[in-house]
Amino acid sequence: MATVNITINGQKVLAKAGQTVLEAALDAGVDIPRLCHHPAVRPYGACRVCLVEITGQRTLQPACTFPVSEGMEVFTETPKVVEARRFVLHLLFSERNHYCMYCQMSGDCELQALAYRYGLDYWKYPRPFTPLPVDASRTYFVMDHNRCILCRRCVRACGELVGNYTLGVRQRGANTMICADMNVPFGESTCLSCGTCLQVCPTGALMDRHSAYRGLEKDVERVKSVCAACSVGCGVELVVRQGHLLRIEGDWNAPVNKGLLCELGRFKPLFEGRNRVRTPLVRRDGALKEATWDEALDAAAKGLKAGGAAVALASPRATNEALNAFVRTFGRLGARLGSLTPVPEFLAKPEGSLAALDEADLYVVVGVDLGKEFQVAGFAVRRGVTNRGARLVLLGDGKSDLARFARYRLDVSQVNEAVALAQGAENPVVVYGAGAGEVLPRLRAALEGKARFVGLVPGTNSRGALSLGLNGARPDGAKAAFILAADDQVDEGLLTALAGVRFLAVQASYFGPLVERADVVLPAATWAEKAGTLVNTEGRVQDLRPAAAAPAGVKTDEEILTALAARLG
Amino acid sequence: MAEPLYRANVLVCGGTGCTASGSQAVLDALREEVARRGLEGEVQVIQTGCRGFCAMGPVMMVYPEGIFYCQVRAEDVPQVVEETLLKGRVVERLAYQEPAARKAIPHYGEIPFYQKQLRIALRNCGMIDPENIEEYIARDGYAALSKVLTEMTQEQVIETVKASGLRGRGGAGFPTGLKWEFTYRAPGQPKYVVCNADEGDPGAFMDRSIIEGDPHSLLEGMIIAGYAIGAKEGYIYCRAEYPLAIKRLYKAIQQAEEYGLLGENILGTDFSFHLKVKEGAGAFVCGEETALLASIEGRRGEPRPRPPFPAVSGLWGKPTNINNVKSYANVPQIILNGPEWFASIGPRRSPGTAIFALTGKVNNTGLVEVPMGITLGEIIFDIGGGIPNGKKFKAVQTGGPLGGCIPAEHLNVPVDFDSLKEVGAVMGSGGMIVVDEDTCMVEFARFFLTFATAESCGKCVPCRVGGRRMLEILNRICAGEGRLEDLDTIREISAQMEAGSLCALGQLTPGPVKAALRYFEHEFLAHIEDKRCPAGVCKELTVARCLNACPAGVDVPSYVSLVAEGRYAEALEIHRERNPFAMICGRVCPAFCESRCRRGDIDEPVAIRQIKRFMADHEVDHPWTPAKRGKPRPEKVAVVGSGPAGLTAALRLAQMGYQVTVFEALPVPGGMMAVGIPEYRLPRDVLNFEIENIKRAGVEIVCNKALGKDFTLDDLMNGQGYKAVVLAIGAHKSQRLGIPGEDKEGVYHGVDFLRDVALGKAPDLTGKRVAVVGGGNVAIDAARTAWRLGAQKVHVIYRRTREDMPAYKEEVEAAEQEGIVFHFLTNPVRVLGPQRVTAVELQQQELGEFDRSGRRRPVPVEGAVFQLDVDVLIPAIGQRTDTSWADGDGLEFNRDATLKVSKSLATTRPGVFAAGDAVSGPASVIEAVAQGNRVAMAVDHYLRTGQVEKVDYNPPYHYPALTWNVDAYAEAKRPAPKFLDVAARRGNFQEVELLLDEETIREECKRCLRCDLEWLESVGGVSLEAAKAEHKMPA
Repeated sequence: MATVNITINGQKVLAKAGQTVLEAALDAGVDIPRLCHHPAVRPYGACRVCLVEITGQRTLQPACTFPVSEGMEVFTETPKVVEARRFVLHLLFSERNHYCMYCQMSGDCELQALAYRYGLDYWKYPRPFTPLPVDASRTYFVMDHNRCILCRRCVRACGELVGNYTLGVRQRGANTMICADMNVPFGESTCLSCGTCLQVCPTGALMDRHSAYRGLEKDVERVKSVCAACSVGCGVELVVRQGHLLRIEGDWNAPVNKGLLCELGRFKPLFEGRNRVRTPLVRRDGALKEATWDEALDAAAKGLKAGGAAVALASPRATNEALNAFVRTFGRLGARLGSLTPVPEFLAKPEGSLAALDEADLYVVVGVDLGKEFQVAGFAVRRGVTNRGARLVLLGDGKSDLARFARYRLDVSQVNEAVALAQGAENPVVVYGAGAGEVLPRLRAALEGKARFVGLVPGTNSRGALSLGLNGARPDGAKAAFILAADDQVDEGLLTALAGVRFLAVQASYFGPLVERADVVLPAATWAEKAGTLVNTEGRVQDLRPAAAAPAGVKTDEEILTALAARLG
Repeated sequence: MAEPLYRANVLVCGGTGCTASGSQAVLDALREEVARRGLEGEVQVIQTGCRGFCAMGPVMMVYPEGIFYCQVRAEDVPQVVEETLLKGRVVERLAYQEPAARKAIPHYGEIPFYQKQLRIALRNCGMIDPENIEEYIARDGYAALSKVLTEMTQEQVIETVKASGLRGRGGAGFPTGLKWEFTYRAPGQPKYVVCNADEGDPGAFMDRSIIEGDPHSLLEGMIIAGYAIGAKEGYIYCRAEYPLAIKRLYKAIQQAEEYGLLGENILGTDFSFHLKVKEGAGAFVCGEETALLASIEGRRGEPRPRPPFPAVSGLWGKPTNINNVKSYANVPQIILNGPEWFASIGPRRSPGTAIFALTGKVNNTGLVEVPMGITLGEIIFDIGGGIPNGKKFKAVQTGGPLGGCIPAEHLNVPVDFDSLKEVGAVMGSGGMIVVDEDTCMVEFARFFLTFATAESCGKCVPCRVGGRRMLEILNRICAGEGRLEDLDTIREISAQMEAGSLCALGQLTPGPVKAALRYFEHEFLAHIEDKRCPAGVCKELTVARCLNACPAGVDVPSYVSLVAEGRYAEALEIHRERNPFAMICGRVCPAFCESRCRRGDIDEPVAIRQIKRFMADHEVDHPWTPAKRGKPRPEKVAVVGSGPAGLTAALRLAQMGYQVTVFEALPVPGGMMAVGIPEYRLPRDVLNFEIENIKRAGVEIVCNKALGKDFTLDDLMNGQGYKAVVLAIGAHKSQRLGIPGEDKEGVYHGVDFLRDVALGKAPDLTGKRVAVVGGGNVAIDAARTAWRLGAQKVHVIYRRTREDMPAYKEEVEAAEQEGIVFHFLTNPVRVLGPQRVTAVELQQQELGEFDRSGRRRPVPVEGAVFQLDVDVLIPAIGQRTDTSWADGDGLEFNRDATLKVSKSLATTRPGVFAAGDAVSGPASVIEAVAQGNRVAMAVDHYLRTGQVEKVDYNPPYHYPALTWNVDAYAEAKRPAPKFLDVAARRGNFQEVELLLDEETIREECKRCLRCDLEWLESVGGVSLEAAKAEHKMPA
């Protein structure tokens, strides 16, 4: 890569051609303050906090947008620069309500940190500010306009990263406000509740209801892990304080999602409505009663061994390590093994890379609703359409949440039209899910070599399960059954199929119909409490790391299965 | 084309200004009349674009004669057809009337408005039918395009534009050719040509007029630019508020396409170019090029930081050339006439012409195109015809709401990019707003700031928040709630907004405020320190314009109201609260109140001075004993000088309970009122009557006691125990001409002459030839006095013009009636004669550059010297304070001999204060009274606290009920003043102006609009209805 020689504060720096002054400075270890800038979105140059002095320039220039050039001399903390920064900070503090002690972000606020850095210990300008509304119409997080500095990180993240363009700016000048759609309450807008805006907000303007006031950054631990909501396998950072999961953030460095998460990954686990199973339970006299681990394991072993034809089913949310233990344990018992989520044959092997979605100029989406499932993959499609002008063809799924982005909504009978469109595109990508069985062969036949195919497998770790031979199965005809449900939800069909089972042992984290139906319940750790590996739809093996503390009396899947295996002999 | 050969063409302006004043009706009437008379085959009627002289709209021109008609109405059309088109005669009453000479100028080329103009970009505006491409082609239209496409390479075109020196007419002045070159050299395809027609300055309509009047010149310029940079597509970004411009653009594009001048394979070459019109929604910021591009792309109109510049990464990230309408419109002419021709016009670094939309307080509002380098003064006074209604020029705002104001002292600034920048304004895209003395510069700056902040896009912090904070400060200052440190805050915010804002909108937003603060800081200070808006504009600070204009703040609406009811005594009482000399001021006051009277905006100001005189004269049988307002005080105060300032100070101090003695050097009290103003203007009994009032307050007046001769300050303060002294010694020393022969016999200096006459020592002027030098009131007083003393002939010699005379207009007129001869633009250079004066040598002058006061400086006409035979010469060119007595008294003086005083009127010697002409220089009675009031407050404060501080003299206003129906007086006229017959004035000093009768005066009062009540309601928070219902207003 071509390099250019510049100096920053007199220090010689070798910068990469095409870099901005800010990027070069950060690489050289010079910290230039900034507020509107966020590395995940494009440079914007609005807040004017990163202004620097560049020799030969008439006015101060924003480091975040100004490109480096050979021989450039940059000064980042001259008196003139510092005065300009202090001016901007004073103005921001005069604009809305930045009375820090009442803000949940006090201590973690980028604006506040800069105020400390530049010694703002008084209000220079009067604050003729009138209170602005607080929009609490969204389920998981709240917009407090009073704390907003109009940096538009949220707006740009919503548009550039998620491609959804829910957030925008209304009015102008001092009356400028962040708004959703045509200024409707956030909760009534096209917002997907992905929380990307929340994650990029530099102040307390966006705060999530779960973690607010529960701990400063200095009080928490961050554990990199992987989301278990679907097989996309987004990288996450679990924000934990003393064993309690406060917040889930997208990992900006994760290759799959590059910081994005969807509602299911970011918020659902924190707003879990089900009650936790905290002790082993054994059915006595028709009712589930608390029991010791020994009593419960004994009862489970006894029930499974006595029952004759047994079936053992595992949730694909389980880790590879748990599934291994599962197979070992029940394989020896001779039970029929399977997973809770069936995977059709055409999805059995990984196909395609999610990265292809950011290169496509035409998407054919078939057999999957990217608005509901695999949402982060759906974001890639959204931004492809809105930011790169890619075209979206929805095949056979006109009701999808993605429909408003689709140029073409075709019935499966119109597959030839989809093929024609793909043929005419430069870089078409076919995204298919479990419902694509009917038309996929025709697409494949017609577009082999032309289009790239990306398969999205149902079930978080179905790839791991399949590699152990576990695929969707039903407990039909079994006398005894073991279900490794862990923290998964199970469907009604499974419950119906379990009607004929005489003995049912369940390994579960939460109460629910399955637990209610069980004879023995073994309380298991949840996704955030255990270690292991998961394989995403692309076949990428990723580490799950324990972050939260499991309640006393709860064991991990492997611990339970090992103990059970010992009793099953 | 088989069009008939017309013998006459009538061009009716269809520009926006003329359309607004009814040109469509004129056009329709003309077509109808021409048809009715069967002249269609001989006379062609054409609707053109803007001809520029909007003030005179609707305008019409008749060719081939070039007859120019203004303010034509449909009713005038039959006469025009009959007289001009049929009989070939000029209808004089429709011709342009030169205001000064009052003569009709029927021919276009001779009208001063057009004479100094040079029309390049506007060459076709008002000359052709903008909706007919053939008319454009007939005037060399598209010839440049043809030349470019067939004879020139892209590089040659760019070189030509570069060599012409054309700089961007959008305001920033970046070299156009260089910009083209950058875009040409930038890698990437396609490239775009964009025209910025998002003209959004209030009062600016240059781009609009070009598009409306000559759209093809823009198109041709853009097509040439497209060829030069290698673009195939162009956009014209025009705001949707310009529907006529947009309509004509579409039409022009369509016609150009039909003629093969636009579209595929233009003129049969392989160059293709397409143009699209993009209608903007009217956001000012979209005039910023990157915001404009965002808007074309369909995004929110917000600028982005540069680099990259549009030449590299513009529309949709492609190389894009953006120029203003005027820049493109210049290009075809540059190609046709050559770059040298263009470069030869105006200064080297800013060649070509500048187009201005001249608006505001200027006679000839309209659109003008002038060669760069012309001075501001020439534009405003020669082309613009000066300021309407005889008001004084105050400033001109250039560069629109982001520009700056330029005061009178810079009228000689040449108009070009760099010179304007030097004086703190900018060229901008061409708005030019002239303001007169009635404009408050604080409020003016606030107006532009309000606009700019409302148009801020809100993206960057300095502009979004900084602008708002600054506006809040200005709002505060205008409301009288400003603080001194606000000015520093404004300066700081300005500097930081300039340094840190993202785009030019934010960087230039502080411009108008900065310029106003630079040139009119005193007005800001008046708002902050005195809680006064000198121009009487800021609502919160202006109870009514009349009392705001009065230096002493006399409660005009109240006494006028009470006089209307016949309650003269109460009215006079209110008057005396602020000014004890109602009879005097009723005769000699310059009546600042009348010059600002709002009634004057409608017809003529209320005759306030006449009302005052009647009120005071009516009460002449009731001598006034001023009331004591405080307990008796032990301190003695000395007042030196018994003029209006001294007497007022003495009165107020006596009312406060002090023992006051006034020392007067002359044998009579009254100062300039006694020995300066001649008796025919101010009878002595009137003066003495009001001096007696002052004495009744307990003031002792000692005459024939002169400071420095009979006593010193030390005597007063140490010997006689005066605790404080007020120096109100006036300005009684005549200024000398400083020419040879000034000391000859027969030379009397102005105030000395008047004083001698007043004291009964008049020289014998019977049958003498007298010349007075000067243009002020003293000069006129001296001339009229000389005439009364029997002079055979009286001349007044003044070096400037009649308009520039500081003397009161009525006085000058009266002098003329008395046969006094005026010699303007004439200056004495030598007094001739052996011992006595026999003649004076005069130098003829002509007007040169503008001086700091905004008047043209007279300069000698070489060789034009002549003699005037006179027996007596009276130089009356000014007065100053006699300071010869002041040695070692601890007092300091300014360079103009006025006393150095603080804001509280304290001199540099503790306990000594000063007021009147000795502080302000020669001024009026009412200004002296105002200072007398103020100095009394300061002295009182000093004697009570030992502190020197400014204390306002501020008795409350009254708001008497409105007892007449204002609407019934909508048509009422100001009564004509009555004067003594000229014949009866000779040889005596009888009062010239006569008293009007009671009925007339009481009716005249009812022409008052009672602005004070509006203030009471809107600012004072009192409901007018409630106040009326109670028939009683709060005191």
